[in-house]
Amino acid sequence: MDSLAQLLHLTPATLWMIVKVLLVFGGPFTIASLLTWVERRGSAMIQDRIGPNRAALFGKWRLLGLPQIVADGIKAFLKEDLVPPHAVGILFWLAPLFAFVPAVLGFAVIPFGQSFTIGNTQYHMSLLDPGNGMGMLYPMAIGAVAIYGVLTAAWSSNNKWSILGGMRVSAQMISYELAMSLAVVAIFMRTGNAGPPTFLEAYDPHRIVAAQAGLWNVIPQFLGFVVFSTCMFAETNRLPFDFAEGESEIVAGYLTEFGSMKFALMYLSEYVHIVTAAALIVTLYLGGWQIPFVADPGALLSVAAFLAKLLIVCWVFIWVRWTLPRFRYDQLMALGWKVMLPLALGNLMLHAWWMHRAAM
Amino acid sequence: MFLIFALITLIGALAMFRQRNLIAAGLCLVLSFIGVSGLFLLLSNPVAAALQIIVYSGAIVVLVLFVIMLLNAHEEEPMEKRRLIQRWSGAGVVAILGAGAFWVVASSKALHPTNVNPTINPTTLGQLGTHLFRQHVVAFEAIGLLLLASMVAAVALVKRDL
Repeated sequence: MDSLAQLLHLTPATLWMIVKVLLVFGGPFTIASLLTWVERRGSAMIQDRIGPNRAALFGKWRLLGLPQIVADGIKAFLKEDLVPPHAVGILFWLAPLFAFVPAVLGFAVIPFGQSFTIGNTQYHMSLLDPGNGMGMLYPMAIGAVAIYGVLTAAWSSNNKWSILGGMRVSAQMISYELAMSLAVVAIFMRTGNAGPPTFLEAYDPHRIVAAQAGLWNVIPQFLGFVVFSTCMFAETNRLPFDFAEGESEIVAGYLTEFGSMKFALMYLSEYVHIVTAAALIVTLYLGGWQIPFVADPGALLSVAAFLAKLLIVCWVFIWVRWTLPRFRYDQLMALGWKVMLPLALGNLMLHAWWMHRAAM
Repeated sequence: MFLIFALITLIGALAMFRQRNLIAAGLCLVLSFIGVSGLFLLLSNPVAAALQIIVYSGAIVVLVLFVIMLLNAHEEEPMEKRRLIQRWSGAGVVAILGAGAFWVVASSKALHPTNVNPTINPTTLGQLGTHLFRQHVVAFEAIGLLLLASMVAAVALVKRDL
């Protein structure tokens, strides 16, 4: 790395920063655009269909329908950009941006591999280095802001279905954010209690991953894992919680009035959200980049392990979408407030009690 | 950097007042909150910045916007008749109050560096928690009780027949 940095007239730290920025922006995008393909082929597989298989590179190579991604992109770019006359001008333009930017920002704190050392410098595999003070608060803050994309889109469309979708989603996200935060707090408590004392705070994702070296959090915190994953489904507006779109009830919800590249941006940001949610689940509960029974996997192997776990969780997101029916809206609220919140609170109390017992 | 964030905060706040449209006003408020959290970051207090975004932009403004949407206030407020007397008297009162507040702040002891060395500085979640539950536990519990009471009152007001 040092010689390459010298070649580019950069310090190694700057070069690594640039590489990380490219990785953290490019990685989730690549996975997200691949996910659109996986979703269509996977849904076809689950429903015993064939799925997209007509698009072909130069009219020759069909590659299992992979060129469909490119074809869709070109189509979205070339389509007429229609703005309905009753839309609220500037907000209608800003809405895809509001949906897109938080989706991209969320990945920044997630450690996607083991830190490695070259010479005297240590390089960390996350955009924000450990000890930045934000830790896991950062993705939660970003997730809280992500709702504005949907809200602005819904309201600026000036359309009854859109507004219905926006209202549903704002109520849903607020309800599920509570249970999600409580589930995460239990992890902070456990992490702060476990392992050798370090300078890192207990809510730093690097420390959370390091604390899972012996045992992944999913086993002692199974209840929290269930609550957190459910809330992640709700936060990303995926089935069985996709009331924002709910195409059988409110046309396409907040997306109804959006076409061409605006729609493509909102659609892609939904998939980037899924990637970020999967990365959060992997980091918090599935051991991050850790490999079972391997103490020190090294940089490349740890990235591969993280990627494998990420893709498996992403596949679960798609799998669930095509196998479970949508809830009714009152069922959603009942699940959020009467099941998920008590479960998360109980999980917190249980771990507090355990830690108290252990300390005595 | 300070100027950028301060400008974001001020522009957001001003735009919120100028907006006739409730939802757009709410979005301007969010812009202002994001500016404030940027200011917290400049003061090297990332926890306060994150909490500002989670609590204010993430929960409170979303709730407010939700209620606005629920009440179906989609139309922009019509311009009211200009009431010059009220307007100028209001501006005068605000100017007097602002001057008073400025005078109080400028003459207070808080501006001078104190000799007391803060043992706890709440820039991480752990220290913030320790601070809240050691020094300020009574105030913390009192706020909790107050919020609970207001919630009970709200439920009692809305649901007459429990």
